[in-house]
Amino acid sequence: MEAEEKKYNRREFVNTGIRFSIALGLGGVAALVAKRSAGGELVWQLDPSKCIQCGRCATSCVSSPSAVKCIHVYDMCGYCDLCGGYFRPGTKDLTTAAENQLCPTAAIKRSYIEEPFFEYSIDEDLCIGCGKCVKGCGAFGNGSLQLQVSHNICLNCNECAIARDCPTDAFSRVSSDKAYSFKGF
Amino acid sequence: MNKRLLLIFALILLLASLWFMLSDFFDDEPLTTTNPYEYNIDNYKIVDSSVIAWKETMNIPVTGDTIRSLGVDQQDNIYVGTFHKLLIYSKEGHLKNSFDVGGKVYSLFVNRSGKIFLGMKDHIEIWNRSGRKLQSWDALNSKSIITSIHCSDELVYVADAGNRVVYQYKPEGMLQMRIGEKDSTKGSPGFVIPSPYFDLLQGRDDELWVVNPGRHQFEAYNEKGQMISSWKKTSMQLDGFSGCCNPTHMAMLSTGDFVTSEKGIERIKIHRPDGSFAEVVAPPEAFEEGTVGLDLAVDSEDRILVLDKFKGAVRIFERK
Repeated sequence: MEAEEKKYNRREFVNTGIRFSIALGLGGVAALVAKRSAGGELVWQLDPSKCIQCGRCATSCVSSPSAVKCIHVYDMCGYCDLCGGYFRPGTKDLTTAAENQLCPTAAIKRSYIEEPFFEYSIDEDLCIGCGKCVKGCGAFGNGSLQLQVSHNICLNCNECAIARDCPTDAFSRVSSDKAYSFKGF
Repeated sequence: MNKRLLLIFALILLLASLWFMLSDFFDDEPLTTTNPYEYNIDNYKIVDSSVIAWKETMNIPVTGDTIRSLGVDQQDNIYVGTFHKLLIYSKEGHLKNSFDVGGKVYSLFVNRSGKIFLGMKDHIEIWNRSGRKLQSWDALNSKSIITSIHCSDELVYVADAGNRVVYQYKPEGMLQMRIGEKDSTKGSPGFVIPSPYFDLLQGRDDELWVVNPGRHQFEAYNEKGQMISSWKKTSMQLDGFSGCCNPTHMAMLSTGDFVTSEKGIERIKIHRPDGSFAEVVAPPEAFEEGTVGLDLAVDSEDRILVLDKFKGAVRIFERK
């Protein structure tokens, strides 16, 4: 007799199910909101250790020029006279003449510090994110030139066009409070 | 009739919408594989076979964790330093002994009496072949990265890439002097070390040879720390060195010729004592692209030993 009383009828089962689903949904939304507010907004960024400088950052981005820029990690830089990221391979004279420069848009500025050290800075407005200098610096230097998504330019598209075309899956969404990531540093 | 037309029209519209949405999945334009911004140094990697005077005769696979440094003793036993261990191989490539040294072996050298000097980032440790630590010298400082060691019976030279200086010690561990520091009052330009590649060795007359990689220069010092000679050549061609950190390593043949390894254009060459290019030991095609840190050693038969981390092996080259 008691067992029969404990049985749910169909209406009670449906009601319980709906209440449970609503509670689960609300809990999930609350957890998501809590996670987002704790970790910050998610933004696109590329992992320099996966980047192979294929050139697609320059051509695939919906922004023109690309939101991917070369960033100079000054703490890693050797301030070399013969910078593999600045000079075209085989350059004879280490001068700032246009024909000696590797960058297709002359976005890297070279300035003298003291013998034999030079500082290299990136003009973000000119940089197209092609990664040519990054490859030269990584091959011959210590890799202080690295590509990164510049968040003051990135539109933070829902589906990043570069991430879709990236052959090494170097792009991922990261928390905005850790919006930049550099390798070897 | 009108209802039927409307239904057909709605159906066509639905199919067209579906096709439009699904085409996104199946009709992706193939990505171009050519890179308009390619950094291309392929022309500099082509080596005329007539200048390759050496061939690889043996390949010793090295087991264990990341391999880092290479040395050879008077009996031509081969020593490989890894991130935690020291491995000792016979001349024929058989593993004779391996033991834990409790840290990263950045560089190593075996002296005439068989003592093994290990560069453990910021200090020197001396071990014997059975795996017993004999001595540990005082640490230098937090910036130190000991990238090369060379010992004679009287002196020990230690290259510190982090501090851009060479230390001269007595074999017992007493620091004698610092060599090559930048000092404008003495007209010493200093070493230019953009990355942790800074090699040294003692020549046939016990002179100290140091690579100044930022200048592509080889500098010789006497035991008082005075520079007595130098040569340099900047070029991407075979006759010189390129980039900001080349050559990364060197060794010396019994003739006094320099054996050099490079990164960027991965190759091993020989330069005569005056610095002129002599011949190629291994061209870039012998290495995987991006190979760095090709540590070198030369044994008593003038075989050239190359530590190739990317292939996980000690590769031995002999003259053709």
